[in-house]
Amino acid sequence: MFAYMIRIAVLSLRRNPVLSTLLIAAIALGVAVSTAFVTVYYVYSGNPIPTKSDRLFYVQMDSWNPDRPYARSRPEMPPEQITYRDMQGIMTSDIATYQSGMFVASLTIHPPEEEQRPYRERVRMCFADFFPMFEVPFTYGGGWGRDSDRGPEPVVVIDAATNDRLFGGGNSVGKTVRIEDRQFTVAGVLAPWRPSPRFYDTHTGASQVPEGFYMPFEFVREFEVETAGNLLIWSDYDETGGFEEFLASEAIWIQMWVQLDTAEQRQTYSDFLDAYVMEQKNLGRFGRPLNNRLLDVMEWFKDQEVVPEEATGLLVLSLLFLLVCAVNLIGILLGKFLTRAPEVGVRRALGASRASVFLQHIVECELVGVVGGLFGLGLSALFLRLINRLLDNSGQFGLDLPMISAGIGLALVAGLVAGLYPAWRICRLAPAIHLKLQ
Amino acid sequence: MIEMDCIRKIYRTQHVETHALTNFTVTIDDGEFVSVMGPSGSGKTTLLNIAGLLDTFEHGRYLLDGEDVSRLSDREMSAIRNQKIGFIFQSFNLIPDLNVFDNIDVPLRYRGMGGGDRRAAINNALEVVGLSARTKHYPAQLSGGQQQRVAVARALVGTPSLILADEPTGNLDSAMANDVMDLLETINNMETTIVMVTHEPELAARAQRRLHLLDGRLIDLEADDRPTPLVARPDGSPSARV
Repeated sequence: MFAYMIRIAVLSLRRNPVLSTLLIAAIALGVAVSTAFVTVYYVYSGNPIPTKSDRLFYVQMDSWNPDRPYARSRPEMPPEQITYRDMQGIMTSDIATYQSGMFVASLTIHPPEEEQRPYRERVRMCFADFFPMFEVPFTYGGGWGRDSDRGPEPVVVIDAATNDRLFGGGNSVGKTVRIEDRQFTVAGVLAPWRPSPRFYDTHTGASQVPEGFYMPFEFVREFEVETAGNLLIWSDYDETGGFEEFLASEAIWIQMWVQLDTAEQRQTYSDFLDAYVMEQKNLGRFGRPLNNRLLDVMEWFKDQEVVPEEATGLLVLSLLFLLVCAVNLIGILLGKFLTRAPEVGVRRALGASRASVFLQHIVECELVGVVGGLFGLGLSALFLRLINRLLDNSGQFGLDLPMISAGIGLALVAGLVAGLYPAWRICRLAPAIHLKLQ
Repeated sequence: MIEMDCIRKIYRTQHVETHALTNFTVTIDDGEFVSVMGPSGSGKTTLLNIAGLLDTFEHGRYLLDGEDVSRLSDREMSAIRNQKIGFIFQSFNLIPDLNVFDNIDVPLRYRGMGGGDRRAAINNALEVVGLSARTKHYPAQLSGGQQQRVAVARALVGTPSLILADEPTGNLDSAMANDVMDLLETINNMETTIVMVTHEPELAARAQRRLHLLDGRLIDLEADDRPTPLVARPDGSPSARV
């Protein structure tokens, strides 16, 4: 019966192509706009690592200026990053299951093929724990061992796109690539990995794609490289002292993540942080009140307002737009259905129940919804490409399976909203009246 | 087949009440061919609509095939219409987007029959009305007489025990009208009860019994082949056989 209803609906839509096109276009436009902004919201608000987001903690300590808070509008908030010396200090702990300080640098890559020109690339400087802690997937090889952090060993992990670019794809583990003036051996090649939002570094853009290179943190000394992300400092330091003086300064530029699997482990680590800060206070640092924070991934997103207010506002507006599109269709569908009252009268006389007539017309509305939804998804993909280009975010916003499903779902809801009243009206008509009129 | 007892039907608008049927009582036996005549507004179509469960009534009782159908749900009435009643209308009421085969298929679709059974039933009905060669034609490609024969096939295809025909020859010339009447008689000979509304006395005369309506009341009743006495009901309204 359902197939029969679809067939009748197709015939009905073919009867008046102009009107049907108008109906489909209205749904398509509504779905295009709403799906695009649902996608944007979804990318910003999703849980990028649901298996352990409540066990990964972002570490904050208030080493800021004793005379004024880090953020005047939120005086209770400690700085969002930590100093190099504090990272080194807390990395000595073995309480956390995994731990890694990190920052993004911009380094020069020299491709192995001589005809390829050197280029600047974002490189994540991190510790060995970065990979198991964030469940980073590998196609070939793996991350480096903790031993390679000390030294440090000249090893590097590259992403799939970089592997294609430098080595033409395939298993490149053991091959070498020159970064700045040093040869690095490839330890692992990532499988496609794109956490959305890119939770481990919200400072350089939560919608950014992960970096192409990952190397042991301590090459920071050899390359004397500063962060390509945010760096803030509240006290002067002796710049004549060189890079070591910078590393020892109060500049904050490092993100610190730890994995704490149990409440007990979390408490122990929290106590450790307090003890570390108290020790630093005794050394004349940390002039502000004790204010350490451990926020898990979703708490950190909320604190950082990773979902921009604009995204939420646009989401609501786009859904309202879809609703307006659907509501506008109510009148058109009602008129369309009422012109078919005599046919409905005949069907009722031949045995169609009210419920059957209602369902028949809902099926027709949902057919409009699905066809409109498919066109809408196409438009939405174009719309998202435009947003990606405007925001220059390397295609962060795209339609994946959940968003395609959401688009079709929105189209079905729009079809239902548009069709419920007209279908109810047509099924309530007295068939006897219209049989004489045909 | 049909037993109506003191049926009252009133159409109400904001200012006017129209009594379409007043204490209407009639009995029509299985296999009868009954014609219904009367001036416009006498209640003929209302009678047919109520008999076909297309309209409700305020008062009285209606037994169809021995079953009290006075107060059924919409779903129950639809199922009875689908399985026991066939309709033939003056203006054919074929669905223009569907070809002959699909038009005849409509009642079977609502019955939930399988494809093979439906095809066999439709071909059989087309054979009865002599349109087997026109299955792919659309209504607009057929003459009025052919369209009415398709409508007859559609009424016939579900093998109903009752066919209700509302002026089935009203839009046809006399030759086509006679064809349709022949067809109805053939169907009646297959034990199907037929109730036909008509304005044409000569066509009405071909029925076994004629009912005459005036102002929603039965004013006369006669059977051509088997005289039946009128029996006055206690409220004074005339009745068929009791």
